[in-house]
Amino acid sequence: MSKNKQELAMIKKDTVDVVAGKVKQFQEKGELHFPTNYSPENAMKSAWLKLQEIKTGKQDGYRPVLEVCSKDSVANSLLNMVVQGLNPAKNQGYFIAYGHSLTFQRSYFGTMAVTKRVTGAQSIDANVIYKGDEVDYEMKHGKITNLTHKQKFGNIDKEKIDGAYAVIVLPNDQVYYELMTMDEIRQAWSKSQMWGKDQKEEKKGSTHDEFKQEMAKKTVINRACKKFINSSDDGSLVIDHFNQTDESAEEAQVEEEISNNANGDVIDIEYNEPEPEQEPEQPSDQPDDDLEQAAMDFEQKEAQTTNGPSF
Amino acid sequence: MIEVKALASSSKGNCYHITDGKTPLLLEAGIKFKEIQRKLDFQTSKIKACLITHEHKDHCAGVPDMLKNGKNCYMSKGTAEAIGIEGHRVKTINAKESFTVGTWTILPFEVEHDVAEPLGFLLANEDGDKLLFATDTYYIRYKFKGLTHILCECNYSLDILNKNIADGRIPKMMKKRLLRSHFSLKNVKEFLEANDLQKVREIWLLHLSDNNSDERRFKDEIQALTGKPVYVP
Repeated sequence: MSKNKQELAMIKKDTVDVVAGKVKQFQEKGELHFPTNYSPENAMKSAWLKLQEIKTGKQDGYRPVLEVCSKDSVANSLLNMVVQGLNPAKNQGYFIAYGHSLTFQRSYFGTMAVTKRVTGAQSIDANVIYKGDEVDYEMKHGKITNLTHKQKFGNIDKEKIDGAYAVIVLPNDQVYYELMTMDEIRQAWSKSQMWGKDQKEEKKGSTHDEFKQEMAKKTVINRACKKFINSSDDGSLVIDHFNQTDESAEEAQVEEEISNNANGDVIDIEYNEPEPEQEPEQPSDQPDDDLEQAAMDFEQKEAQTTNGPSF
Repeated sequence: MIEVKALASSSKGNCYHITDGKTPLLLEAGIKFKEIQRKLDFQTSKIKACLITHEHKDHCAGVPDMLKNGKNCYMSKGTAEAIGIEGHRVKTINAKESFTVGTWTILPFEVEHDVAEPLGFLLANEDGDKLLFATDTYYIRYKFKGLTHILCECNYSLDILNKNIADGRIPKMMKKRLLRSHFSLKNVKEFLEANDLQKVREIWLLHLSDNNSDERRFKDEIQALTGKPVYVP
């Protein structure tokens, strides 16, 4: 037990302390400014507590990630979290292990938090457009402006969603809109690891089906924030890490997929003596519940599903 | 003894001529038939058949003319549908169901690429030679026994790709696709390490990316790893 504690202390020294030092450097050089209500130390403490409880997936035998994952990947994911000013205790992101690399993945609450911080946005909201709703907007300089949306209560029906939009209100009362049709939303959903290769619509009982409105809002908010953040500022440490979060997760996912599936069973033929062999099929996914948490849970689950089809 | 001749090997077109001295075959027909004829000094009459891995133009552009010239083209049903061809010369085959063409016994197997139904091929002949052909796949699901010739894609190296993105030469979106569609140097190495290479006589690295590869380095690194002659057409 004490050996275990000692090991843990060593890992902490090589990761948390290193990251804390690095963050300090950034701050001293003026490359990084945290809002007054964000304490990197506290976020790191929350993260460290969480990390001790997180286990790997089935393939690695549900072992603690701190035992399995490389120290570099632990340190990098912590740095990624802190630079973006996020806190796992506020559900702004979560840690997921792919094989031997730990990644930090932002939830859409996290995406909103970073967007607000970088752009000074006052509010970020989204709404769903149902069949029969009155939606009106103008295009000015190629941008959607003056979007008005009138809804009758009777129109609300999750089976009749025409689309969704997100609105980012900036401090100077400028407004940025992002509008997506249901087709576009489904197109985005179809890239999810939980969707089958030729799946065109959400499966009955899946999270995308049961919480269609929340999921549609989440999708349009994510798109609005990512587009807006990348167009609003000419690059900073925070934006680098904002983009890097997606990228490093992608890389780690592919790596794990390859190490799980590549170079497996031997197949062979002899001249004129064909011996065809069978491969077991891979199982697909399953759904989940609860509205408030649904979006969060879903993001997390989606990120963890690694056996899904590629696209 | 197998003889391999690469007629084209890049994202502009892929075509490889192989023969065991008895049955010449084409692996892919990703260039115009005229060009195939020219590159083979118009000695195409002996070509017995053509094996196609998937529907992307750089692998199948010459198929319609091949068919017109009376060559059987073997491909998966998904590939034939995606190309939009049919006819008695289009032979559809299934993964893990072997078939014979002349003196070759051929086992198609699934590969991992973002198309309808891509295949790789394992070819054996009566001399006991075994050739593996796998391209446009970001990993290979299987291991093989007693290979004598390995022809596999080695598209990019992640460090070169990342540098190209950082320098703005390659759009970032491309990386996302590459990661799940093409064979990286690192993964080719892992594949080679996982297989028994005792009998391997030749390794051919195919389909190097124009921007994200380094011919000299790839060749040297694979040669150092395997101790086998490595060819990069």
